Amino acid sequence: MAQFQSYNKILVCQEDGISNIVVNGQVVAYELKCRYPSYRGTYLSCIEALELYVDGARVEDERISLHLNGKIFPISQLKELFSEYWFILDKGTLRIWQPGGLAEGEHTVEIRMRHRIPYTGYFGEYLVLDSRDEKQLEVLRGVELDG
Amino acid sequence: MAKAYKPAITLYSFSAEYITGKLSLEDCLREARDMGFEAVELVASQMVPEYPYPSDAWIEHFKELLARYELEPLCYSAYIDMGIRSDRDLTEEEIFHSTLNDMLYARRLGFKFVRSQHAISPAIFKRMQPYCEQLGVKLSIEMHAPHHPDVPVWQEYLAIMEESNGQLGVVPDFGIFAERPHELLLLQAVEDFGCRREKVDLIVQHFSEGLPQSDLDRFELSTAEQNFAEEVYKNHGPAQLEWLDRLVPHSFHMHGKFWYLKDDQDDSGIPYKKLLQRLSELGYSGYIACEYEGHHFRDDIDVKDQLQKFVRLLNSI
Repeated sequence: MAQFQSYNKILVCQEDGISNIVVNGQVVAYELKCRYPSYRGTYLSCIEALELYVDGARVEDERISLHLNGKIFPISQLKELFSEYWFILDKGTLRIWQPGGLAEGEHTVEIRMRHRIPYTGYFGEYLVLDSRDEKQLEVLRGVELDG
Repeated sequence: MAKAYKPAITLYSFSAEYITGKLSLEDCLREARDMGFEAVELVASQMVPEYPYPSDAWIEHFKELLARYELEPLCYSAYIDMGIRSDRDLTEEEIFHSTLNDMLYARRLGFKFVRSQHAISPAIFKRMQPYCEQLGVKLSIEMHAPHHPDVPVWQEYLAIMEESNGQLGVVPDFGIFAERPHELLLLQAVEDFGCRREKVDLIVQHFSEGLPQSDLDRFELSTAEQNFAEEVYKNHGPAQLEWLDRLVPHSFHMHGKFWYLKDDQDDSGIPYKKLLQRLSELGYSGYIACEYEGHHFRDDIDVKDQLQKFVRLLNSI
């Protein structure tokens, strides 16, 4: 039976939409917000996989960074971050490096997260959840990072 | 007979409202006060920004809120997050230090108790006793289903509590007394896992009549229905009232866990009336922290209504 799956719906933050990021007069990336899908916070090291799909296509991990606690982490680093705590009300930002960003209008954004529940492993076997959420997000703004 | 135990509330009851932004921490505290509660339990990793190291500013803010709403800080609830590292489990030394850290912040926030989990291990639990005395914070382990007083490690824990000069104790969670599956579990089986309602009812009826699980083999149950039957048989059974006799002497507070109350007469899964009667007879005078947990199943249930029904049930004995 599935446990702890009732908060999956907070994974993709719809109301924040998508921002195209402008540097040096060009759109170099886009960003969207996400939350940890649980009733309590966790450590980033408990995230075993974080996959992003935009309009049905997987975005390569190498182009994504997660911004949290005033820091920026590549996806491949998450498993080592056992001192970085993700407070349950805090939104993380996913920045995807993509020249031109995303076209105006709505996009289908799906996040799949595989995450370990760190207090469940009494005999070395931890509960590992596959959470998933998909929402329609609109490109709401361009953000200038220059200056 | 005079009622001696007192209702408190764990703010965890408001999980759904808090996480979806309907209630802030302050709103939760105001609701608690407005409902007549006098003491609160806080799940630290849920409501403390910058956990496990809350800032001085947040500590001041939280204490101001407690003062504003005239609430007593009862328990700072911690987990044994043994699996935070990807390469190995935390060591004894690391678990000791994280528990000590939670105890120190609990003290700074004014809490009397820290609740830990059984994974702390008997060795570390015992090791915390002098720090309880130094810091003025007592440490308890939650006894949560499927555990109960006859589980071997709990025999050890209860013996350690006995020798602890009142510093180490237990928080029994009433889920250990669940006799039947609660209503939301049945709804989840039907709505989320595709079980047929008539089969779900059949399984529960079968179980309630004390018939063996193998008797279900003659009904053509789907895989989901077989899984449901497995869960019903594994996680429920007649409430052992005598467990309370053994737990009360070491209980700092208790978790009045419930998932869904149709009315304020009794819970459909946990026989609260019998259990509360026993607690009164035993003279238990601590808090029972109301712990609504239906939010793991549905978010369209009025939590305030549920809590008020539960308090009326507590006060009816």
